[in-house]
Amino acid sequence: MYQLAILKETTAIHPANFGVPPEQAIIAELNKKYANRVLHGLGLCVCVFDLTEVGEGKVRYGDGCLWYKVIFRLVVFRPFVSEVILGKVKSSDEESIRLSLGFFDDIYIPAIYLPQPSTFDPNERAHFWLPESDLTKPHELLDTPTAERMYIDTGEILRVRVESDEFYDDEPGPPKALEGVQVEREARRAPYSIICSIAEQGLGPTAWWKGEPVPEGDEMMVGDTEEG
Amino acid sequence: MEVLNPSSALLSNYEVLTLLRELESDHINRTRIALRVKKEEEAAGGTSSIVPGAKHPAMVETSENLRTIQAIQYLSAPHQPTSMQTPESITKLTKALAKYDLTKAEKLQIINLAPTQPVELYVIIEELEDRLGESMNEILTLVGSSLSESPLASQTPPDTLALPTSRVKANEFDDDDPLHYPDMDADGDIDMEEHFDDTGEGAGIEGDLDVEED
Repeated sequence: MYQLAILKETTAIHPANFGVPPEQAIIAELNKKYANRVLHGLGLCVCVFDLTEVGEGKVRYGDGCLWYKVIFRLVVFRPFVSEVILGKVKSSDEESIRLSLGFFDDIYIPAIYLPQPSTFDPNERAHFWLPESDLTKPHELLDTPTAERMYIDTGEILRVRVESDEFYDDEPGPPKALEGVQVEREARRAPYSIICSIAEQGLGPTAWWKGEPVPEGDEMMVGDTEEG
Repeated sequence: MEVLNPSSALLSNYEVLTLLRELESDHINRTRIALRVKKEEEAAGGTSSIVPGAKHPAMVETSENLRTIQAIQYLSAPHQPTSMQTPESITKLTKALAKYDLTKAEKLQIINLAPTQPVELYVIIEELEDRLGESMNEILTLVGSSLSESPLASQTPPDTLALPTSRVKANEFDDDDPLHYPDMDADGDIDMEEHFDDTGEGAGIEGDLDVEED
């Protein structure tokens, strides 16, 4: 889930921080810049791990700052493809389930990566899986008795496998007009999003697989379906 | 900025959690010292050279975006095995796993997820049966023995009671209350730090302006 990346950077220390030991001041400065920020192609930065190499502080003409050339290691959140992680269901809609890790929310399970056959129940606002069923059409699935359905409710802990991740660097710009009419701009995409799958044995809500060496445990489903 | 190496090493969840907890306690210590220094100076009659409300010259500010990283809650949540792990137990487990033919990524995930049931191991390791066969149960035993006994351990019983406990666990995670890092609020540190933030914001600005005219 977490990796160490090595970065090189020139950073300025403000004279107000000259009373602090230089390495502390540099780490604070780097954390200010990188913590909780997505670097394109790298992942979500968490914090500075340590400083590898620090040059001599130099004063440039024009400001009173000390400029340091620094090579440092950064803790980055970037689960690798095929890694298995745990996350909590944040919300569900027709196309996907959105997961949250608390500090990172752009994790999606598209409907094609759900165990089949499964479909979205608009009443419960949740996807459900019908194990050992031959039905395939959504309306057929929605006619089944609710007791047989295995719902993936909001707030449940899911074990998921990372399938791919995407980085977007959308530039903000002025509103565009086409023939005098303002063009509706696409909604801003998240800079870093992860696509996951639960279409595999052992994946999905952790409660499904507790103490169950074989899937399709009937007694588990009683608790998973609550009548509204 | 220049990226020299995007992934020089992989970190286990436990390592990241330890690092973040260190940063957090550093920050709490620093604010506590700052608060004490401030109080002492006020008691001495305010003749100090330090600008009231400004930061102490020997202090470094912790940036707010670092504090908003909520990975501590996630990493120490009850569904994660980190609360039952220690540095020694992880080292021991890694050494014990060395004799099996596992990739680095698989070993990392065994540490991070601490599988105690076969189905969990199937997810982590590809072609489990062909590659490991009988030694699968050995690995599960090794993982089980590396997890220390704690109140949380009783929440993952092998069978029958699985359902009710799992519901309870899910609910706990929902609450999002500070119970996820018991180490921190055991001695009321959190209150302390909030208190400091208040005084810093309220009293700071006016004092700053006064002194700049000198």
